[in-house]
Amino acid sequence: MWGSYGRRMSRLDSDVPVVSAREVTKTFGSLTAVDRVSMEVHPGDVYGLLGPNGAGKTTFMRILFGLIRPDSGDLHLWGTSVQPNPVAALTAVAGFVETPQFYPYLSGRANLKLLAKLDGGESRHRVSDVLETVQLADRASDQVRGYSYGMVQRLGVAAALLRDPSLLVLDEPTNGLDPAGIRDMKALVRQLAEQGITILLSSHNMSEVDEICTKVAIMRRGQIAFDGSTQELRGRADRATRQLDTTDNRQALALVEGRAGVTRAKLQGGMVIFDADDRTVEQISRELVTAGLAIGTLNAPTTALETLFFRLTEPRPEEDAA
Amino acid sequence: MSLTSTISSPSSQRQSTTELRRPGAGTVFTVEMRKILGQTKTRAIAVVLVVAPWVFILLVLHQDRLPLETLYGRYLKVSGFATPMVVLVTGAQWVFPLLASVVSGDMFSSEDNHGTFKTILTRSTSRNAIFWGKVLAAVAATTALILLLGASSLLAGLVTVGAQSFVDVGSGGISAAQGLGMVAGSWASVLPPIIGFAAIALCVSIVTRSSVLGVVIPVVVGLVFQMYTFLNAWDTVRHSLLNTPLNSWRGLFDHPSYATPFWHGLAVSAVYTVLFLSVGYFVFRRRDVTEG
Repeated sequence: MWGSYGRRMSRLDSDVPVVSAREVTKTFGSLTAVDRVSMEVHPGDVYGLLGPNGAGKTTFMRILFGLIRPDSGDLHLWGTSVQPNPVAALTAVAGFVETPQFYPYLSGRANLKLLAKLDGGESRHRVSDVLETVQLADRASDQVRGYSYGMVQRLGVAAALLRDPSLLVLDEPTNGLDPAGIRDMKALVRQLAEQGITILLSSHNMSEVDEICTKVAIMRRGQIAFDGSTQELRGRADRATRQLDTTDNRQALALVEGRAGVTRAKLQGGMVIFDADDRTVEQISRELVTAGLAIGTLNAPTTALETLFFRLTEPRPEEDAA
Repeated sequence: MSLTSTISSPSSQRQSTTELRRPGAGTVFTVEMRKILGQTKTRAIAVVLVVAPWVFILLVLHQDRLPLETLYGRYLKVSGFATPMVVLVTGAQWVFPLLASVVSGDMFSSEDNHGTFKTILTRSTSRNAIFWGKVLAAVAATTALILLLGASSLLAGLVTVGAQSFVDVGSGGISAAQGLGMVAGSWASVLPPIIGFAAIALCVSIVTRSSVLGVVIPVVVGLVFQMYTFLNAWDTVRHSLLNTPLNSWRGLFDHPSYATPFWHGLAVSAVYTVLFLSVGYFVFRRRDVTEG
């Protein structure tokens, strides 16, 4: 009999994209939550869907799960369209959108048993295993209403693993977890990826995606602002945002503003803020001293990747004006 | 122990989800029944329905006055079969529609309230199966509660008063066996309109996504129907109201008996049931799950 590993490996060899979205659009009234999104997730990818709150990540995931219908465009899972028959397309898919939800008056174990039944009943003998996996075995008999946010999140992962998926879709999986929980969740995702499970996860945390994912799409106002490997993304992230405080910040701004390699220079909160790479910053600091300005502060509060993320996702001046 | 420590080996020969049988409405029905039985609300209602007829008949037996204005009220101390008949006549006014609403009115909206639609709709069960499984569970639970009340009423009457001979609706004498048949037949005859009220509750629950409205609206509808019957208004309208079939059993057990109101009531109940379930089905199949 084919095991799950064999099935996954077979799918890893397949040329058919796990997720293939073409011009997917969804509007709610006057708001276009997902705007002509096209993307592909391939077998074995750990794909991060990154964007600030309201960027359209969750709406896209709901479309992927067949929970909402797109106004236009197609979304296929292993070549099978999610609409009009999500159950067929979602056969080997599991995960959760936003906070996982369960019946509060039932125990964690009873909830998983019900879900196993809705999956056909074959996975019910694995309920204890997955509870053990997410470290909820001790609290499995307690009603879910007594669970902390982090415990519900872990129960959500357990419910997903119960389906033995080939594609695991996780919407901000580290939300609400304590530092140890975040570490463990990241390790779990990595280990599941090593087992051949394709992973699509959303996050608004750039460093988290950089750490876990092999590919990334950055969403902004419903559209894809970047789609490529994390390596490509790092290649584009050459400049970090700098904070500069000197004895005369107006003179410092004038000196910084005109330089090649400097972008987005402005005075903000009494400090000079600008984006530049390390080499340019070295030259600027030498010139400031030559100009007789004493440097009080010169630091980079965000990494180059975060700076790129903000650059890609923050509203543009023309949009603010509109 | 870390989260990753007990992940099963990738080489394990677990059965693929692609090989699993896709669950149908029957599976959803069993899941829903388990959920219904797991709720404190259901257990509390069941206890009240079992206890209430006993309290009622014991109080009646310990007082001089009888509820003479209620059909069969005057026979409460004469035959044990009068107890379930009085409970039936009284319950049909508003208790039965309320029961149907309480059970069915949050069958769908509770999933909205708990945010669990997204949990169950991302498993291997189709919306079609979920809809019909929930409808079946609502009908089964409502029927079970009504029959529980009937059985408890009958038992309370037989134990406290006895299985004496009884009278039919036309006041003709009937044997104890016939009395039992009348109790069973009359209680069974209210099930179709009650299922109609359950269909209204299910539909409201789907459309409004509100448990409160799912419970309140069918009860209000029942009361409005009831008020209309008090008016000297069009009979055609009165015959098409869902509370009219709740009394259609009277013709069956009159002397001579007549079945036309019963068959008419059955048709009215079927129309309400099909109409409201159709609207609910259409809305449920097409709705976007954006909450939770």
